[in-house]
Amino acid sequence: MTTYIIRRLLYTIPIVFGVLLLTFVLFTLVGGDISIEIAGKNATAETIEEIREEYGLNKPLFLSWDSQFINHFKNALTFDFGRARDREPVIDKIKRGVGPSLALTVPMFLGIMIISVSLSLVVAFVRGSVWDILAVVICIIGMSIPYLSFILFGQYFLAYKWGLFPVFFSPDLSTAQYVTLPVLIGIVTGLGSNLRFYRTVMLDEMRSDYVRTAFAKGLTTRRVLFKHVLKNAMIPIITRVVLAIPFLFLGSLLLERFFGIPGLGYLMIEAIGSRDYFVINAMTYISAILFVVFNVITDICYAWVDPRVSFE
Amino acid sequence: MKHRQEFLAIAVIAAVFALTGCRDSSSAEEPNEMVLHHALATRLTGLDPGDQRNVTALTIKSQIFEPLYQYHFLKRPYQLVPLLAEDMPEISDDKLTYTIKIKKGVYFQDDECFRSGKGREVKAEDFVFAIKRIANIKNLSQNWSIFDDKIVGLDEFREYTKSCERREDVDYSREVEGLQTPDDYTLVIKLKRPWPQLLTYALSDTATAPVTKEAIDFYGKDIISHPVGTGPFRLKEWRRRSYIVLVRNPTFRGEAYPSEGEAGDAEAGYLNDAGKTMPFADKVVWTVIEEDQPRWFLFLQGKLDSSVIPKDNWSEVITGSSELTAEMKRRGIHLKTFLDPTTFFLGFNMQDPVLGNNRPLRLAISRAIDREKFIELFRNNRDVVAHGIIPPLIASYDAQIKEKGYARYDPEEARSLLKEAEKVHGGKLPTLKIGMPGTDTFFRQFGQFFKRQLEAVNLDVGIEYMDGPTYWEKLHTRSLQMFASGMGATLPDAQDLLQSFYSKFWAPGSNSFNYANPEFDSLYEKIAVMFDSPERRELYRKMELIVLEDCPAAFLNHRVAYSLHHDWYKNYKPNVFTQGLSKYRKIDMKKRAEYKELLKRIK
Repeated sequence: MTTYIIRRLLYTIPIVFGVLLLTFVLFTLVGGDISIEIAGKNATAETIEEIREEYGLNKPLFLSWDSQFINHFKNALTFDFGRARDREPVIDKIKRGVGPSLALTVPMFLGIMIISVSLSLVVAFVRGSVWDILAVVICIIGMSIPYLSFILFGQYFLAYKWGLFPVFFSPDLSTAQYVTLPVLIGIVTGLGSNLRFYRTVMLDEMRSDYVRTAFAKGLTTRRVLFKHVLKNAMIPIITRVVLAIPFLFLGSLLLERFFGIPGLGYLMIEAIGSRDYFVINAMTYISAILFVVFNVITDICYAWVDPRVSFE
Repeated sequence: MKHRQEFLAIAVIAAVFALTGCRDSSSAEEPNEMVLHHALATRLTGLDPGDQRNVTALTIKSQIFEPLYQYHFLKRPYQLVPLLAEDMPEISDDKLTYTIKIKKGVYFQDDECFRSGKGREVKAEDFVFAIKRIANIKNLSQNWSIFDDKIVGLDEFREYTKSCERREDVDYSREVEGLQTPDDYTLVIKLKRPWPQLLTYALSDTATAPVTKEAIDFYGKDIISHPVGTGPFRLKEWRRRSYIVLVRNPTFRGEAYPSEGEAGDAEAGYLNDAGKTMPFADKVVWTVIEEDQPRWFLFLQGKLDSSVIPKDNWSEVITGSSELTAEMKRRGIHLKTFLDPTTFFLGFNMQDPVLGNNRPLRLAISRAIDREKFIELFRNNRDVVAHGIIPPLIASYDAQIKEKGYARYDPEEARSLLKEAEKVHGGKLPTLKIGMPGTDTFFRQFGQFFKRQLEAVNLDVGIEYMDGPTYWEKLHTRSLQMFASGMGATLPDAQDLLQSFYSKFWAPGSNSFNYANPEFDSLYEKIAVMFDSPERRELYRKMELIVLEDCPAAFLNHRVAYSLHHDWYKNYKPNVFTQGLSKYRKIDMKKRAEYKELLKRIK
């Protein structure tokens, strides 16, 4: 197992290198020079040149030990992301945004997972019935309505009209108060696609011989569903769930923007909008590492839940 | 053990909430505390007084930092009055030397950058230091253009800073001939040539507010989040991209609310607090709210004191006769309308081979645009047509300019001008491109409007939608053929707008049109050293006409701002040239409490 993990971790090196190269090429060669914009109105050529010097934009792109790419690579490896365009250390921005983002995405993720897996077992069990059809129809309706509509309606009715939740973030609110409504909206919007996916997974399992055997032996429905079916359906569930975890780090742009949650989704989009390569680079790099690590964890989990899977 | 998974899930959720912190008690509102609640449409990028020129940064910084002069809060036309200066300056006969006495007893706020933690008294040297910081090229200040080639010896100081390795290596004790401090309370500024805007532009700008060297040395690059000023408020908390809280500066010397204003101010209640010591508010909270919907809901819930009117809520607020609707009146909401010193336009790149040498083509485009329709569609009929460059708010505005017909909508004339334009071009005109500084629905509608208007006179036009940074980069590198943009005056002087047509300020400078006219340039150089006079105003009008004749842009509209505020928000007189206005604002706490009751009844 250790050899397997080491081998998988070694595979991450070219992947991370590729990500670094791609972000560098995209934002340096395609994105253009940011120094004119930083300099502001009526800036002189010498000020622009000084900005290029300060941000290292006057260095060669590749073919030198002090090139922009080598520095970009070195900084990434040492997790030294430097300062953002507003001169605040990038790492401070990320540290500050992680908490609000996770406060939003983790409950959303857990809520969606628990509700959709549980409901999928139930609707798979009553497949073909009116409840199953109703669940599928609701899922499709939920998937068809734009995400933004849920936010606009949720904010209008639940927060503004009925006053059940705060409309927007405020310094005097606790985290639980200001994330509850966005979390609920996130769960409702995420249920449709997840429930449909897990229902399909559960239906495949329901048709297996061992389920019929279990019922024939007189096991209770609850025991068959939660002990046997769920356990055997764990491989696709793990694939979907574990690989979704790195994305929690990225937060949720629309929810963060509409409810004023100062998370990383908001930070990333703002960085793209203002061409803050320093922030984009850091976020992309950290996301890539998380994605690769969670891929390895997924593989380990396969073996943990299913003895038929071997590391050999 | 039976419910292990459920417990685990609940524990994880609880842990996330716990780890991310609960109520932030430091920002909680005390009962009876007078708190101003505002919204910011864009995030704050920094609080270094020597840098950052965007509106958000200036709005916040101007509550903390004070320059030598400010515009009178109530008097119109706008009048400059001393703030940290003892009086108006003594100006030498040749208009080259300004001697400014500085108020005694002005202290920097208490801060740990001072050895004792107590703020020290402001001295003339602190003003000199602020200007030298801007000149230090290592600071990359966006404010250098204010002082470029203006003060004796300052450009040489900037040259010297180029030789320094780091910004910390710059020796600020190095003398600048044009910035002298004969004593602690006297500042002498020597100019290379007369500069009429020294007071109105430079010395009333937060950029020239005194800066304490102790703070710069102590905080280094982090000075952007540790402002140490002399103003009525000080920074309590800044959660980037979220909110900023300022509290009353306990060591503020106090400033009296104006005792006189213009006609009608007393009736409007603007003089009710005459002579009282400012600031009135204990705290000011700005929340970054980029979306219209939550901002509007918070305003209606009484959680913001004032608001602009979101485009989608216009009919909910304003009737067909441009008054407040009955619902708004029932809520005690007031409407303030006022002219903004802005001019919006469709600009032409005069260095473009197709447009630059083809005046009939530019005129045809200008004649093809129905400005009234534009204002109706995109501005709810609230703006005024821009018949020229200078907006009505500025003293040199020509009230008769409409008669000259530069903004007339005449599709027939446009068609005949296009025929002429084809002759000048030597054949069929190619498809022209308009750059749009955004990709959202608003800009797409905007682009479609221009396209439809120009195609109606048989001119092929393509619209290039791009994000803000790409747009500005293309504009600065002179690569846009036509561009939708606007300009705003930062002081009540048309020179601020006319400089955008001076050939030495071609892009990336303010002349995005890359326009050049020797006659205009020569007049600009003349007015640049002239003080306000009827003669200078006449020259402004002459310069405006030169530009309108050459047509480097189709000028569209001057904005009229519509602003709402609650009944409890007092001393809310619009002032478009001053940002440090929170000190004047006041809350009628009783009325604010009554609004909460009203909301319950409405429900």
